[in-house]
Amino acid sequence: MKKISLGIYRQDPSADRKGKIVKYHVPVEEGMVVLDAVRHVQENTDPTLAVRWNCKAARCGSCAAEINGVPKLMCKTRIEDIGDDITVEPMRSFTLVKDLVTDISPAWAVARSLPHFHPRQRSVHPFRIEEMDVERSQEFRKCIECMLCMDVCHVKREHNTSYVGPRYIVKAASLDMHPMDSLDRSKFLDREGGIGYCNVTKCCQAICPAHIRITENAIIPEKERAADLFYDPLMMLLKRLRKVKD
Amino acid sequence: MTAAKRRIVPEELSNPSWRVLSFIFLLLAAFVALLLFPVPEFKGYIDPFYSPLILLLPIPAMLRLTCYTFRRGYNRHVFQHPQACEAANRNDDRSRDYTGETTPLMKIENLHRYFVYGSLLILPFFFYDLFVSLTYGGGFILRAGSILMIVETALVTLYLLSCNSIRSLIGGRNDCFSCMHAPRARKGVYDLQSFFNSHHDNLAWLSLIFVVAVDLYIRALMAGWPIDFTLFKIVGI
Ligand code: SF4
Ligand code: SF4
Ligand code: FES
Repeated sequence: MKKISLGIYRQDPSADRKGKIVKYHVPVEEGMVVLDAVRHVQENTDPTLAVRWNCKAARCGSCAAEINGVPKLMCKTRIEDIGDDITVEPMRSFTLVKDLVTDISPAWAVARSLPHFHPRQRSVHPFRIEEMDVERSQEFRKCIECMLCMDVCHVKREHNTSYVGPRYIVKAASLDMHPMDSLDRSKFLDREGGIGYCNVTKCCQAICPAHIRITENAIIPEKERAADLFYDPLMMLLKRLRKVKD
Repeated sequence: MTAAKRRIVPEELSNPSWRVLSFIFLLLAAFVALLLFPVPEFKGYIDPFYSPLILLLPIPAMLRLTCYTFRRGYNRHVFQHPQACEAANRNDDRSRDYTGETTPLMKIENLHRYFVYGSLLILPFFFYDLFVSLTYGGGFILRAGSILMIVETALVTLYLLSCNSIRSLIGGRNDCFSCMHAPRARKGVYDLQSFFNSHHDNLAWLSLIFVVAVDLYIRALMAGWPIDFTLFKIVGI
C-alpha cells in the first residue's frame, strides 16, 4: 500500500514550551482525506494526539486546520489532491489547547457583541419573506462556523486588532439584509467592529469552505453602508432630510 | 494599532519599503511621461489619456486607486498585508504596525463613489473617441486601431458599471426589494449588475491594460510603425 509522509504539529502547552512537527508514515487508499490520515495516527500510533472533528462531511466546522500552510477542513481535503508530503498544523490565530486543537471561544464573545435581530415595528406575524429577498442572507447562512476565515485574516492573525473578523461581518450582513430587521449594523461595524481594518485582500473569501463570497457580498456592502452613514456628505444630508420629513 | 496609536499616515507610507517607493515612482513617472510627451490625436485616434483633457486624469486615477480591486492589489503586493494567504508567503508579521483603512488618509477609500460619479461623466468621451475613429475621413472606416478601441471602450464601460459602489447604490444598500417600486425590475437590474460585479477584478485589470494599449498603439503610429491596416471602408460622400 502507498504511504505518505504526514507531519503533525505536536505541543501540549502545559508541558512543552515549544511545539514541533512530528513526521508519521501513513498508508493511504484512494479517496482518503487528511482527517482519515490524522485519525489513523491517533488510532494506530499515538492515542494522545489531540484532534477535533465531528461530522466528517464539511458540515460542523470542527476539523479546521492549516494543511501545508493553507487553512482548510481536514475532512474535505483529499490526499491525492495535495500530494504525499503533507503537514498539518493548528489554526494560528487562536490559542492552542493541544496539538491540532485550538480554543475558538473568543469568537463567541464577538458573536454576543453583535447587535441582535431587531424585528421592525408593525411587522406582521408570521414573517412572510419574498423569495427575492431571501437569497442574499441565505448565502450567509451556509456558514459552518469553522473559523478558517478568522484564521487566515491577517488583521486577526498578525495584528490582533479590535476587528470582529470576517465571520462576524458575514453574520452582521445576514441580519442587515434580512427584510424584517430594522437595524443597520454597519454603524456598529465601523465604530466598534473595526471594519476599517479590513483591506479587502480577500483571503477569507478564497478559503471559505462554504464558498461564501465573504469580501464581495458581505464586507464590501457593509463598508459601503458605513460610507453612507459616516463618510459620504451627500448621503448623510439625504438621510437627515428624510428624517426631517418623517 | 489601537485608537491611542492611530496615525494620520499609515506606517507603510511614513516608513516605506522599496516596493512602496517603486510603486509611487512608477505612478509619478507615468504621469510625467504623459505630460512631457503628449499625443492628443493622431489620424482620427484620440488618446484615452488626453480625452477630453489630461487635467481630468486625476479622476480616473483616483477611481482606480480607491477601487476595491486595486486596493486588494496594492495592499497585497505593495504593502504586503498580506502578500499571499498561505502561511509560507504571507510576508506579514506581528512586528509590523498595521492600520488598514482606519487612518484619515486611508479613509479616502470611502469616497470611492465620488470618483465613480466623476468617471461616469467622462465615460461618454470614450464613445465619442470611438465614433471619431470610425468616421475618420468622412465615411466609415474600420482600422485595426478602432478594433482595439472598441474592446477598450467595452471593457472600460463594463468595468465602471460593475463597480461595488454602484452595486450598493442600485440595491445593495436596500434590505427589501419586494418593498420597493417595481421590485422585479429593481432586482433584475441588481442581479445583472451583480453578475458583472463578480467579474469586476478581471474587468479592472483588462480595461487598464487596454487603455494603456490604445495609448501605446497611437504612440507607435506616430513613431511611424506600419501596423494600422484598414479592414473595411465606406468612402464618405
Ligand atoms: S464564513 Fe466560511 S470560512 Fe468563515 S466561519 Fe463561515 S464557513 Fe468558515
Ligand atoms: S478581506 Fe478583509 S476580512 Fe477577509 S481576510 Fe482580507 S482583511 Fe481579513
Ligand atoms: S469597486 Fe472597483 S471601480 Fe468601484
